[in-house]
Amino acid sequence: MNAWKFFVAVWMTLVLAVGFMIRIPDIPILEETARNLFLHVPMWFTMMIAFTLSFWYSIRYLNDEQSEWDRRAETATQVGLLFGLCGLLTGSLWARFTWGSWWTFAEPRMNLAALAMLVFVAYFILRTAFNDPVKRARISAVYNIFGVTTLPFLLYIIPRSMPSLHPGAEGNPAFSEMTAPELRIIFYPAVIGFIGLSFWIMNVANRYKRLDAQLEQQEIED
Amino acid sequence: MQQEMNQSAVDTLTQRYSGEWDAMSQLDQASGVVQWMATNDLMPVVLVVSLTIWFVLLFYLVRMEGKLSRLEKKMETRTEETE
Repeated sequence: MNAWKFFVAVWMTLVLAVGFMIRIPDIPILEETARNLFLHVPMWFTMMIAFTLSFWYSIRYLNDEQSEWDRRAETATQVGLLFGLCGLLTGSLWARFTWGSWWTFAEPRMNLAALAMLVFVAYFILRTAFNDPVKRARISAVYNIFGVTTLPFLLYIIPRSMPSLHPGAEGNPAFSEMTAPELRIIFYPAVIGFIGLSFWIMNVANRYKRLDAQLEQQEIED
Repeated sequence: MQQEMNQSAVDTLTQRYSGEWDAMSQLDQASGVVQWMATNDLMPVVLVVSLTIWFVLLFYLVRMEGKLSRLEKKMETRTEETE
């Protein structure tokens, strides 16, 4: 096990422990749910990093058609989707205790984020449609490049121009204006921790897939 | 209409399901932990639950690391033998 994985393990444990133990300022409506900031927002940051990585790997695959790039692109998309779903879940929970409803179709950011996740669910459905690995890798790489390109529009540009209760939308204070300094002490380390954790998960998944491919290769040779 | 859609059937936020909780009647005789659990100062409980989930996930990841390293070593020796 590499040193950086130990670091991630200790770091995340500290972030969780301190995040729930510190005294936070009493913000109206938010109250103790303000701690969800340490989980909800880093989830989306991590998702963006993972999808950006998968975008990069997909381009690499189309450049030199090494199956390693396809494996990495698939893993990064899996991890991105995982963190995106966690972001939706923590967001829904937060909505319940601040807006009073688990889900509301009046909230553009919520629904467009769910739509963005569906784009990547479709990526995995697309992958199952091919038996030829080269064809599968090539078409899913093209699809993934298209999919990641929709993300900035679905998650930032459109929700920002529509009326919304979500912080950062028009008329609402953005993160920088409403976040108390005490929350930032945990928020930034939490971002680093979750990104580190996603790299760890990607590393484990990639090594498994590489072994699987090597084994298959040996079976063909034998 | 929009207002109605957003309102849930049962208001669990501002009111308790029931004002009466049987265990509350003998609370003064209960142990310190039970008395503390009856207060609203429950952030440590959230912490313990979160840490439990995190440690299980961590345990799973570390186990996975070990298993993968073993398999990688096995694969390496196998590849060397065939060459």
